[in-house]
Amino acid sequence: MTFVRRHAWEFFLVLLVILAALWSSTLSPYFLNPVNLLASAKTFVIIALMAFGLFPLVVQGEIDISLPSTLAVGSVCLGELSIRGVPLWAALPIVLALCAALGAVNGVLVAKAGLPSLAVTLGTLGAYRGLAYIIAGDEGIVGLSPDYVRLGSSWVWIVPASVLLVPLVAIGFAVLMATTSFGRYSYSIGSNALASRMAGVPVIRMRVTAYALAGAVSGLAGWVWVAQYQSARGDNTDGAILLVLTAVVLGGVSIKGGSGRTLGVLLSLILLATIQTGMQLANVPGTSQTLVVGTLLVVSVGLPRVVVLVRQRVPGARGRPAPAADSARNAAGSPEDDDRDGGVDVSTNEPTSVGVRHQEG
Amino acid sequence: MFQRRAGRRLAGISAAAAAVVLVLSGCSSTPPSGAQGGSSPSGADEKIFMAPKFTGLAYFEVARKGGEDAAKDLGVDFQYIGSDQPDATAQIATLTNAIPQNPSALVVSAIDGNAVAPALKQARSSGIKVVTYDADAALDARDLFVNQLSYDLAARTMLDAALLDSPQGGLVAFISASPSAPNHTAHVKIMKQLIDSDPKYQVFHYLDTVQYAGDDAQKSQEIALNLMQANPDLKVIISSSAVSAPAAEQAIVNAGRSGQVFGTGFALPSSVKDFIKNGDATAFALWDPAELGYIATVAAHQLVTGQITAEEGQVVDAGPAGKYKVGKDGEVDYNKPLIFTKDNIDDYDF
Repeated sequence: MTFVRRHAWEFFLVLLVILAALWSSTLSPYFLNPVNLLASAKTFVIIALMAFGLFPLVVQGEIDISLPSTLAVGSVCLGELSIRGVPLWAALPIVLALCAALGAVNGVLVAKAGLPSLAVTLGTLGAYRGLAYIIAGDEGIVGLSPDYVRLGSSWVWIVPASVLLVPLVAIGFAVLMATTSFGRYSYSIGSNALASRMAGVPVIRMRVTAYALAGAVSGLAGWVWVAQYQSARGDNTDGAILLVLTAVVLGGVSIKGGSGRTLGVLLSLILLATIQTGMQLANVPGTSQTLVVGTLLVVSVGLPRVVVLVRQRVPGARGRPAPAADSARNAAGSPEDDDRDGGVDVSTNEPTSVGVRHQEG
Repeated sequence: MFQRRAGRRLAGISAAAAAVVLVLSGCSSTPPSGAQGGSSPSGADEKIFMAPKFTGLAYFEVARKGGEDAAKDLGVDFQYIGSDQPDATAQIATLTNAIPQNPSALVVSAIDGNAVAPALKQARSSGIKVVTYDADAALDARDLFVNQLSYDLAARTMLDAALLDSPQGGLVAFISASPSAPNHTAHVKIMKQLIDSDPKYQVFHYLDTVQYAGDDAQKSQEIALNLMQANPDLKVIISSSAVSAPAAEQAIVNAGRSGQVFGTGFALPSSVKDFIKNGDATAFALWDPAELGYIATVAAHQLVTGQITAEEGQVVDAGPAGKYKVGKDGEVDYNKPLIFTKDNIDDYDF
């Protein structure tokens, strides 16, 4: 029962995915075709990778809206290296390191100089985009060598190879956040950065690391871009940040920091992909699609708060919290609940570890 | 506690490694079959899907109207699809999800002609005809491109409108959409060349730096204001973005400089009617987007029925919208520029 209560948000998401799938299959007769579904999933891989990269940052109570621009730098650099004849095995590490460095610049400005992360990454959002345009020129880059684009045109049975990157990266982040000191420190910093610093957590190093990691994962997503779309241009994924941030927050990661799990992010990505595919297969107008995604974002941020308010108004409800009520603690990260399952401080990281163990099992 | 955690980490890493091995061992480079959902298209249930760069922009909505009219005249099913996000990823997702619905043809304005190419090629290999309009995709990703105006004619049309505004010439500044919009980039380049070389336009000289407003009205106004402040002798601001051109004129009016500085370029007549009637501006230009949508939809239908095969020299017969010859590389030039002045602006309702 505690397992169910601790993972109320994840169960809620699973329920939503099932409902969305049922709804989609009534919307369109083409929805329940595995080959179609996987082809659609391919268009979500890039969003998914950026969302996983953003996840530890949000846990730390920070944000990075420059990730799509970092991706563009990554994609145009890969394009440039490809037409200069550098093989992929040599180019990819270079580009990942470059994107990690771009992320680290954000991290240093935020953590060392103490600037607000939204302002810093709004600045680099424009700066990195400009850099991508300078590298690729106005026309962008085409004619990439076959090894660069192989990932985008390979299948394992009926599963596109790039789609397989998503579970791999998800497992990587689950392990990272649940079992390493980086993960523990991230939850601790997100719950209370000042207290963490006084407890000896290397806050600056952890923040810069998280930004660099997010940059590197965006670089990886840049490789997926060039592989799937066989081109690179300065405006790649311009405007994708709304979907990326929605995926993270809808996954139960509190925007205030200190809580959230990889499994939640993965489930919210599946939910968003299901809804988007269903609506597109039914030719739902674009404005309605954006309305649905925007509403989900507001609901995922607002629902926990509503539940908390309801519980305060109705004293009886406190004794027997419904699943949704419990999810409030997961996502809202209100201080009274942090010690129970929201955040993980330095001394007790059990709740999240337990969660991830079940998730992997 | 530490050991348990390390054990878990090891388990995670080995799971990932096992997955990688699995992936590499089962890799193939043949796309899986069975992606089709419906039956193959036949004359009785012909469906044409129109996908603009993104939905919600007035220009594309007018083109949609033309597409709908054509579909009605031809007796085929018509769907308008797309995301309202101006992002290639969103358009690719839209096109990917259009393929399983097995339309007979896709009529597309490509937001990034190379990035959408794999999705369009996938559509073509599934037997779907692909026509681009407004903005082209990579050559081998579509059957036909219905071009509203050749770049050269577009540049001349905008300079002609500028001459109507400021017959004695003067300093010209350009506002473009984005460096990655090939049509806007080409328009500016050719306008500069024409000012340099064509005696008709020699009364003009220009600012070499091009400003980018990303089809955003507010940004266009800011840029226009900055241009006026930085260049007191500025005479004309030209933009081939239907968002930026009226916005630049609005900035001129707001700054109280109408009659001294003129905004022009491509604009929907409804968006500049007030300026022209008040005498703030003399001329704007465009083509009829509805007719463009009409011709593109007719061309798609004729490809589906086999009346044309996109070969050079064939003719797209768009009935009331005229006949158009297929040129080199499957390009059909619509080439009917319109210049709106106070004499004719009331004739257009878009």
